[in-house]
Amino acid sequence: MKLPAYLKRTAFWGLGISLLITLALSAWLFRAGVNELQLQQRHRIAVMHANALSLAISSTDVEETAKRVREIQKFDPGIESLIVVKGTQLVASTNAADSAPRQLKRDEKPLYDLSNLLRTARETNRGEGVVRNKTIWVEENKPGHIQVSLPYLLNGEFAGIVQMRFNLLQPAMNIRLEDSGALPILIFFGALLVGGFLKPTSERRMDPAKLMAIAAFLLSALFYQQQRLDRLEQVWVNGNRVVAANYLETAEQYDRAGYLPLVRDPASANLWDTDHYQRPLELIAADGSSTDTEYGAKAADRTSFIKPILWAIDILGIGILLLIIFGYAERMYAAFKQHIYAYVYIAPAMIGMFVLVFFPFAYGIALAFTDTTLFNESLPFQERLIGLANFKAILGDFNLYERTADGIIWNYANFYWTLFITVLWTVSNVFIGVTVGFLLAMALNTEGLRGKAIYRVLLILPWAIPNYITALVWRGMFHPQFGVINQVLQMFGLEPVKWFDGVVSSFITGVATNGWLSFPFMMVVILGALQSIPRDMYEAAEVEGANRWQRLRFITLPLLKPTLIPAIVLSVVWTFNMFNIIFLVSGGEPAGANEILVTKAYKLAFENYQYAYAAAYSTVIFIILLAYGVFQTRVSKATESF
Amino acid sequence: MGTIQRILVAAVLFAGMTIGKAQATELVLWHAYRGAEKATIEKVAKLYESKMAGKAKVTTLAIPYDAYADKISASIPRGKGPDVFIYAQDRLGGWVESGKTVEPIGFYMDDATHKQFLPGMLDAMTYKGTIYGLPLNYKSITLIYNKALVKTPPKNTTELVKIAKALTDANSGRYGLAYWYTNFYFHAALMNAFGGRVFDQDGKLVLNSPETVASIKQMMKWYKQDGIMPTEPSETLVSSMFNEGKVGMVFNGPWYIGEISPNIDYGLAVLPVVDEAGKKPMRPWLTIEGAYVSASSKQKEAAYDFVAFLASEEAGLLLSLEGRQLHTNAAIYNDKRVASDRILKAFHDQLSSAEPMPNRAEMTMVWSPVTTAMNKVVKGNSTPEAALREAAAAVQESITALHKGR
Repeated sequence: MKLPAYLKRTAFWGLGISLLITLALSAWLFRAGVNELQLQQRHRIAVMHANALSLAISSTDVEETAKRVREIQKFDPGIESLIVVKGTQLVASTNAADSAPRQLKRDEKPLYDLSNLLRTARETNRGEGVVRNKTIWVEENKPGHIQVSLPYLLNGEFAGIVQMRFNLLQPAMNIRLEDSGALPILIFFGALLVGGFLKPTSERRMDPAKLMAIAAFLLSALFYQQQRLDRLEQVWVNGNRVVAANYLETAEQYDRAGYLPLVRDPASANLWDTDHYQRPLELIAADGSSTDTEYGAKAADRTSFIKPILWAIDILGIGILLLIIFGYAERMYAAFKQHIYAYVYIAPAMIGMFVLVFFPFAYGIALAFTDTTLFNESLPFQERLIGLANFKAILGDFNLYERTADGIIWNYANFYWTLFITVLWTVSNVFIGVTVGFLLAMALNTEGLRGKAIYRVLLILPWAIPNYITALVWRGMFHPQFGVINQVLQMFGLEPVKWFDGVVSSFITGVATNGWLSFPFMMVVILGALQSIPRDMYEAAEVEGANRWQRLRFITLPLLKPTLIPAIVLSVVWTFNMFNIIFLVSGGEPAGANEILVTKAYKLAFENYQYAYAAAYSTVIFIILLAYGVFQTRVSKATESF
Repeated sequence: MGTIQRILVAAVLFAGMTIGKAQATELVLWHAYRGAEKATIEKVAKLYESKMAGKAKVTTLAIPYDAYADKISASIPRGKGPDVFIYAQDRLGGWVESGKTVEPIGFYMDDATHKQFLPGMLDAMTYKGTIYGLPLNYKSITLIYNKALVKTPPKNTTELVKIAKALTDANSGRYGLAYWYTNFYFHAALMNAFGGRVFDQDGKLVLNSPETVASIKQMMKWYKQDGIMPTEPSETLVSSMFNEGKVGMVFNGPWYIGEISPNIDYGLAVLPVVDEAGKKPMRPWLTIEGAYVSASSKQKEAAYDFVAFLASEEAGLLLSLEGRQLHTNAAIYNDKRVASDRILKAFHDQLSSAEPMPNRAEMTMVWSPVTTAMNKVVKGNSTPEAALREAAAAVQESITALHKGR
């Protein structure tokens, strides 16, 4: 047997391709990770200098401030320029051409605006007692060219901003991940060798060879990734030492110049080395000391941003491996080659679907794993990631009712209450739609019925009118004082009902409106199916002595089933997400008790601005409907006839 | 003329056109106006072009109202959209907080511009101490009465109740007073009279205050004890009752004037003084539309100049007289044509006791819980105190979820 043909039957290709992709992606990721750490380190140094400057001029007069600004620029060759802005005044600048102090020019408006932005951020953080707005703005438009802006506080009061520009790309700042290409290549060939001896069966089920291939994949990938993670932590620790050294050098300069004393106390917090919210990072102490043993945990903390992406890469790799060793990849390729034209023909539609359906859908799901709200949507996506917390908050909240002296009070804001209402709403609406639709279809199907065409048009009318108009009309009819329904009730001497006050009566308003809207569809579908049932079947049954009920039970209903089931499936999905009726008729009254899941999601997103929470809500709705769809198709098997 | 000559002439003409175009700054204005307002804003834009003598070209684009806010939120932060847009103050806080949407313009403003506006107008355009737009027009509710039923409009609530009681006959569906009292926007006039607030100066929620409770009790007195108002009010109910002559007085805004039936001879007056609140006047909320410079505009200075023109006296007169807007420029109310217009004058009179609606993003979370609370109280399912406490707790919960620390 020739080698290529032999290898084709082993896990050689599967392991080879999946590992190649995984290792290449991991290597690329770690390179990006090192770049990210270098960037963070540069920004830390820049922020440190800016904090120090701001502290050094926090109680000096204009001349002293200008003098210190000029001196401080000489402290570090990395500092390119410094300016201090107070209100609409340029107080000090290291650029002689600026001729500070003077008024800001018209094209210097961004400085004034930035100053207002930082003032607001500071005040908001204090006023709300929650730190949520950045008070340090770091920009790096070209690598190494960093601009830091932060509040300029004069005697504890906000006065303006301090802005520093740096050029921080000196070799000493760059710590590299010593790259040796040997390790991944070694791992890769080892895995290939193993793959050459594993012979999975071509059947579509698990066998020991497949399991071993997966194990070999995981072992190789995780070993490599762990090794790289350790190196990355080392890089961070080294970087932290560089920052600490830079800190100590600068702090001594400030100390010597008499601007700021150097506190030689390892227990004291370092106020220069802060995050962008001006909270101390607590990675180096005030005396510049750092003990590496302590940094083990912190380094792991600082490099953990890479782990979720690693997981994603590993899952992708396993997916590719399974695709190949189960033979799907080969079959897909064959199908693709055979029907290449078909794929070309559907390509435009697929691109359209991707842009209009799949991308927004994927974005919505991704959003569900963040804590995005109106207030933080401008932050980078990574900073907003919070994992499964939204789903935990939605599904894990069992605070469904409260026992009080007056009895049980239901918590209408709870997810499970809303789910219960949604299911009840769907079931009752579909039941009404199908029953009324069926009865009317049977009536219209009567032979020799006069004016059939007129009846049919009249009965389809509710469907033809835009549903929000119908909803508003019904809402008016349910008005407690002036609505026609209560007036009719009063005509018969009954008490008027305050429809939107009670949970049940308010629910009925929605069901009545939607029932009115949904029966025409069912009627049309059933009528079509009824007319396709051959008459001779009924005649034969009649000859056999079947009565009307038996004819209905054993001929009509079974023959309706293939049409009815898909119609019901569709109708359930529509009703489950029937936004207009609930929103316009009862608006979820009273107190949100009659809200269904979609209207609730809408309110969360557009009234409460909790975009991510609403996205998680919608994802849960999608999963429920997906599960329902799969279940329905399995149980009925009705769609198989299509 | 030979072919070559023709081509040359055409080329020269074309070049001339493109150069001429390149000199004019092209500004795009978005608004959501229709009818007379749309025609007037277009006229104002043309006027600006002619004043700038070819140095500016303004393209106006009317966007359907229901899609307008979302279109702004979606396009401007991504570098698209207009240079200038007109919107009410209610969205301002949200746009500032989410960033990259509205440009702060305080830096461009001179003292004269600061002083040209009616009192309170600039506050609506100010968010956390920074000015983001120039106010253009305002709307508030006022007292509108049927002259056939009410001879002289009431000055205070004692008179109001007296007049209203005389008109009320619940059995035949006639009432003295009607307004959408379960809607928080309409109720705010009473709340402000008692000194209730939604947010304090630092933005803390102070909805659940004795003042606000007192204002709800006042409303309940009119509804239950005096019985001068119909049940389950809504915009359409108020409007149809007034048009049928079944109600003497309504509280409503300028948007409602066009809906009044031509058979009704109506008058306008300032909302009454609330005797129960220590003779303080009812202070309705002002909705103030402003013109904003887009944060992604490439020509912000030119855009600001146009915004300043929109807020000027000259544009204000056009927008008031032809667009039927209540412009914010104080100077136009000295004009004879404006002063003799009874509708413009009436709403301008109401302005002396009115205040801007909060422009915080958190405000959208207030409407629904408070409306629920008001409905509960009106239907007798809860006391003002308990309902308001619950509503405030619900709003606070939503706000806390939004104000999440990093």
